[in-house]
Amino acid sequence: MSEGDRDGGIDRRSFLKGAAAAGAAAGMTIAAAAEPKPKAAPDPGDANWAGAKFIPRPGSDFMLDVIKSLDIDFVAANPASSFRSLHESIVNYGGNRKPEFLTCMHEESSVAMAHGYAKAAGKPMAVLAHGSVGLQHAAMAVYNAWADRVPVLMFAGNGMDAAKRRPGVEWAHSTQDPAALVRDFVKWDDQPASLQHFAESTVRAYKMMMSPPREPVLIAVDIDLQEEPIHEDKLSIPKLSLSAPPQADERALREAAKMLVAASNPVIIADRCARSQEGVDALVRLAETLLCPVVCTGNRMNFPSTHYLNLSENRLSLVREADLILMLEVQDPWGMLHGLGDPWKDVRRVAKPEVKVIQITLADFMMKSNYQDFQRFQPADLAISGDAQTSLAPLTEAVKRELSGTRAAALAGKADALRKRHAGMKERLRADAALGWEASPVTTARLSAELWNTIKGEKWCLAVSDRIAWPKRLWPTSRFHHMLGGSGAAGVGYSAPGAVGAALANRDRGILTVTLQPDGDLCYAPGVLWTAAHHRIPLLIVMYNNRGYVQEVMHLQRMAGLHQRDPKTAKIGTMIYDPEVDFAKIAQGFGVWAEGPISDPNALGPALARALKVVKGGAPALVDVVCQLR
Amino acid sequence: MRTLVIFVVAMAGALFAGAAVAQDKAPAGSPERGHKLFVELNCYSCHGTHGQGGGRGSEPKISRPVMPWSAFIGLLRRPPRDMPAYTQKWVGDQDVADIYAYLASLKPAPAARDIPLLGQF
Repeated sequence: MSEGDRDGGIDRRSFLKGAAAAGAAAGMTIAAAAEPKPKAAPDPGDANWAGAKFIPRPGSDFMLDVIKSLDIDFVAANPASSFRSLHESIVNYGGNRKPEFLTCMHEESSVAMAHGYAKAAGKPMAVLAHGSVGLQHAAMAVYNAWADRVPVLMFAGNGMDAAKRRPGVEWAHSTQDPAALVRDFVKWDDQPASLQHFAESTVRAYKMMMSPPREPVLIAVDIDLQEEPIHEDKLSIPKLSLSAPPQADERALREAAKMLVAASNPVIIADRCARSQEGVDALVRLAETLLCPVVCTGNRMNFPSTHYLNLSENRLSLVREADLILMLEVQDPWGMLHGLGDPWKDVRRVAKPEVKVIQITLADFMMKSNYQDFQRFQPADLAISGDAQTSLAPLTEAVKRELSGTRAAALAGKADALRKRHAGMKERLRADAALGWEASPVTTARLSAELWNTIKGEKWCLAVSDRIAWPKRLWPTSRFHHMLGGSGAAGVGYSAPGAVGAALANRDRGILTVTLQPDGDLCYAPGVLWTAAHHRIPLLIVMYNNRGYVQEVMHLQRMAGLHQRDPKTAKIGTMIYDPEVDFAKIAQGFGVWAEGPISDPNALGPALARALKVVKGGAPALVDVVCQLR
Repeated sequence: MRTLVIFVVAMAGALFAGAAVAQDKAPAGSPERGHKLFVELNCYSCHGTHGQGGGRGSEPKISRPVMPWSAFIGLLRRPPRDMPAYTQKWVGDQDVADIYAYLASLKPAPAARDIPLLGQF
């Protein structure tokens, strides 16, 4: 809309103000019936109404066309006036399908839902937020997604033209540079000045976001660009062609293969290596070719727990024995080889001094410096830049070429010992899980065993798999979707919305989603329960309710011990009781079926079975279980 | 360096104690009072109410079998790793004896092979 248009008639904003004034006048008429009837307000639907102007094709319609071209199924948002036109385009022009608008109660929930969804679906969700207060709310969840290497397509509404901002709140909700809030932990951002600019930048952002390392991106969407009529006659949407993931250099992989074949005790550590079943299968082929034990850190399901080469729970002893360690997209290589005492910060070297390290990672492409999620620097004997998942197949072929008949026979001889070690690890874990079996509150091992017993007949996914270690230790995982890892940056508040997002992705794939939900995490933004209920997202939420921020209890105790002061006070500021939170009531208040609190371990199985029935009917359900603290 | 010394001393103490189990008799203690202290002192936050250890692998089990008395009190006074030290000032020897008595009184957990749910894994 040109300035002349504004001067010459009633623009859309003035019209809305006028309509509001007319509504207010009508209200007064009702209140004062005895007074003379005022002149009837013009019918806003009457195109002949003098001065009336309409915008049948706003810029936001074209923006939606662009978003649709990217095959986005959902857009999560807490509603906000800075993207009201795009919101309206989604629900009317787009028919609220592909993308469907997901009503969220907090921007942090919107982004965390998109985060969990992307890991389960293998494709991104879009998020809308105010460019100021909305992004401020969203920021921690964006950082989690950044640290977890997960794509999120974010749009931030913003009023760029100060001369057109409505007085008051619209100024408070506008910024010069919305992306400045999150630029340290998004891969790319832009604030387009035209619709064509929007189309090109959004497609570019999507393309960059999906190239490993995958990360969130942000496009600021100007209010006027959304709301004004489409002027450009020759708008076009660029074709999306995703870049092939960067495979590691062939010569470097040959060198890695030589080192792996020559090693006596190699170990593979896989962190954020796999992003699909293809990655899991490729890692199995490499490990079997080398007869090499694998440690899966748990941030992704990289390697089946049922496979005898999975010795994840023996990580320390494997690292201690290793003469060569292959690290696949490991975020903290130094931490794999060392420990650091607390509070004395004494370095505890775990690995042998002479151990060789090969890293295959895209860490060198994470070119941000403010936030320190890149961890302590660890030199490698062979550092290879490349996407680990994509590089596994050529590495395996290179290993096969290096394996002589004699060496292959020697490796095959290791199989029995590795099978025995795997069996011994499992036996030890079962024995440990039995400890406190009848305890009340329920042990986390018992909780995990009971939950597995409930879902074992289903095609399942544990949406957040790092809050309790027992499922990773006990449950038989074989598919990438079985366990999706955690938040990335340990920013509290991810678990509940992350699980809801994963459950949404799994809903149409026939996968039952379950999650072990920490109580402190759910207290951050419990409104996501309503979102799950409203959008009929089936999710079995089992509370890991230890009534506290328990990790912090230990920190307080450590400080008290260090200062030689009273250790009993560690509960102050760390525990959540007096009153105890009733999560079943909270869930019921948000429209979610719920039971609990349950402290008796023998009551758990039947409650989980009842909840499963609800979830299989297509709705979320919550069982509040009072647990041991760890 | 200081931590290394503490670690060596504590471990030596523990090993010595382990070698002298037969002579290692704990003072008499009250399991009931020990249970109360176990909760008040937040021991349960890492080690579990039954001393079963934590679910994250960094919180060791401390019951069944309970370690010898001298090792127990030695580790509590001068823990070798990340556990905070509990000094005489706040936890007297009788308090430790009561906690020890509580842990020793706990009913052993069933063996994993006797728990059908665990047989699935």
